[in-house]
Amino acid sequence: MYVHKIPNSHGTYETQGVLTTPDTNTIHGGTTGYAPTSAGPVGPNPLLPQRGIITKIITETPDTKTFCITGIDGTKPFSPQPGQLGMLSLPAYGEAMFSVTSQDDTHLHMAIKAVGELTNALHEIEEGQECGIRGPYGNGFPLEFCRGKDLIFIAGGIGLAPVRSLIEYCINHRADFGKLTIVYGARSYADLVFKEDLFENWPKVANKDLYITIDRAEETWDGHVGFVPSYIEELALSPSVAVVCGPPIMIQFTLANLEKMGFCPADVITTMEMRMKCGIGKCGRCNIGSCFVCLDGPVFTQEQLNAMPAEY
Amino acid sequence: MRKIAKTRIDDVLRALAPRYDLYVPVEGATTMRTPTATLWQEGLENASRFRLYEEGLPLYWRTNTGLSPKDLFFPQTEKMYTAISQGKTVEIKEESTNAWPIILFGVRSCDIASIDCMDRVFLQKGYEDTYYKNRRQRTLIFALGCSTHEDTCFCTSMGIDPKASPTADVQISDLGDAFGFTAQSPSGQQILASIDSLMSDAYTAQPVSPDPMLINVNLEGVTEKLETMFDHPLWDELSPRCIGCGTCTFLCPTCYCFDINHKSPTHAHIVKQRSWDSCMFVDYTCMAGGHNPRPSKTERVRNRFLDKLLYNRQRHGRVFCVGCGRCVSKCPVSLEIATVIQKIQAAEVTP
Ligand code: SF4
Ligand code: SF4
Ligand code: FES
Repeated sequence: MYVHKIPNSHGTYETQGVLTTPDTNTIHGGTTGYAPTSAGPVGPNPLLPQRGIITKIITETPDTKTFCITGIDGTKPFSPQPGQLGMLSLPAYGEAMFSVTSQDDTHLHMAIKAVGELTNALHEIEEGQECGIRGPYGNGFPLEFCRGKDLIFIAGGIGLAPVRSLIEYCINHRADFGKLTIVYGARSYADLVFKEDLFENWPKVANKDLYITIDRAEETWDGHVGFVPSYIEELALSPSVAVVCGPPIMIQFTLANLEKMGFCPADVITTMEMRMKCGIGKCGRCNIGSCFVCLDGPVFTQEQLNAMPAEY
Repeated sequence: MRKIAKTRIDDVLRALAPRYDLYVPVEGATTMRTPTATLWQEGLENASRFRLYEEGLPLYWRTNTGLSPKDLFFPQTEKMYTAISQGKTVEIKEESTNAWPIILFGVRSCDIASIDCMDRVFLQKGYEDTYYKNRRQRTLIFALGCSTHEDTCFCTSMGIDPKASPTADVQISDLGDAFGFTAQSPSGQQILASIDSLMSDAYTAQPVSPDPMLINVNLEGVTEKLETMFDHPLWDELSPRCIGCGTCTFLCPTCYCFDINHKSPTHAHIVKQRSWDSCMFVDYTCMAGGHNPRPSKTERVRNRFLDKLLYNRQRHGRVFCVGCGRCVSKCPVSLEIATVIQKIQAAEVTP
């Protein structure tokens, strides 16, 4: 009857009264053994945002826009690793955590869907708006673990946003990785994000397979129609490292199918979303058991998640 | 050990007050002999708590204070920064910090243990919290050994000695008609030296010992057992009566969760602040899209007790209950940790 054994993700219990050593960006459990990928937030006070400017806003879909953010002095606010997070704020509306979708020499890019007060306000602003930005937070994707391997990226809807940071990294370091397979789906053609990448940039990448699907047929769409989880079964992808991100229901079915297809839980990587306030493992609300998603995640392997309480 | 008659304790406080922000335990207003207007205005008047020393305050020496001193390091609401928006510009101004030294005078062993819990969260694990550190690092702690206890105290069950706090700068002992002072750190030594003329020797004096506690629980093996109890029916059994008021988390000296929010004198001018939050509130984990990982009371009650007894031990190396008894005396439905520990001990688990 008692399904979950709650793991002690820190090895052994320490004795009462013995002080713990600080270990920023600890990664819990699992056997992939990857190391922290980056230093912590920029600046002496990790909760104080820097002043940034949103210099460019790209409309991706009817409800998603990409915001390009640079520091007030024109330099990049910080340099996140693929999969790390940034806290973006419009002071009058609040702040929220988003994955950094991609970056260039001077800007961070965040693709953001309008779902709440802050994100709706973001969708109303114009280019040139200043903002607060702090980060980077979280562990990011396990680059060392992925290096040299074939990678399968599976994303649904806005879930391509965090995955894109890793795809971009792999493309920029093409020789370090094996074959790249991208399976991406959205409700409709209009809901596909990053169309320039999907239809112009990524098709040119060497040694890759790119599969795009939409949920329901449209007259002007001659590509694949169907849901992502069944598409990956159809494609009969052979087991390697899979990076999965999307709406909860898609993740659930995709993970089940990957397991059926023989993917090893330690090779299936996903990112978690929880409500976050601080981003530095203090405010307490992003916990799954004794893990803090803002610090120990947001990237976990299926194997790690299996060992955590199913409370997310 | 040096000592001073209890009736002359004000001499010590008067000597320290000009040099430090001196916080002392003060009676709750309902039992106050001379409630002044300012005291009534401050909020939470009914509870005994730590206040900035002024002459004439009714000091409370009997047992632990109703409110813990955690708000001195981690205020219930604390300003973080100000942001001023004008047109498209946003200006961010940090709050200025204060460097004046603080003395926390007369803290009980349980609350000192809770400060260790807070230090682990805010200073030792991962990032240092700037706001907490600013207050914590300029604070000297005078522990006060207990000579009596509330019916709800159970620190001894949690491995805490009510008479001694070796990590405090100064240990004060109850010698019956006098308080004894022992320095336990170099800064403690310095301060005691500066007020030494007020005191006399107390070679043979023995601190008064409190009677045995009324609540005794067995913590042994609880953490390990809880590892297998995530899906145990106990949580369903316990949770229905919780009214989600958050009293337990607000009073608990080791509860550290906070919300970051803002108040806006005008839309263009906001003060970002953080304030205590509670995992017992429904919207605590609710996400912008509406999904909530802990939607019902069962998950929230389970999370609170697992957090105290299991998760924090895994994450920060100790159980985050110090047996102060505040949730025991104040939870309106008696869903308190001492009983829960006993229920966990009694629970049947399949191996
Ligand atoms: S356990 Fe008790 S004090 Fe805590 S929220 Fe529930 S009713 Fe309130
Ligand atoms: S859980 Fe209750 S008894 Fe334990 S430290 Fe918190 S308030 Fe005190
Ligand atoms: S967001 Fe505050 S602990 Fe993770």
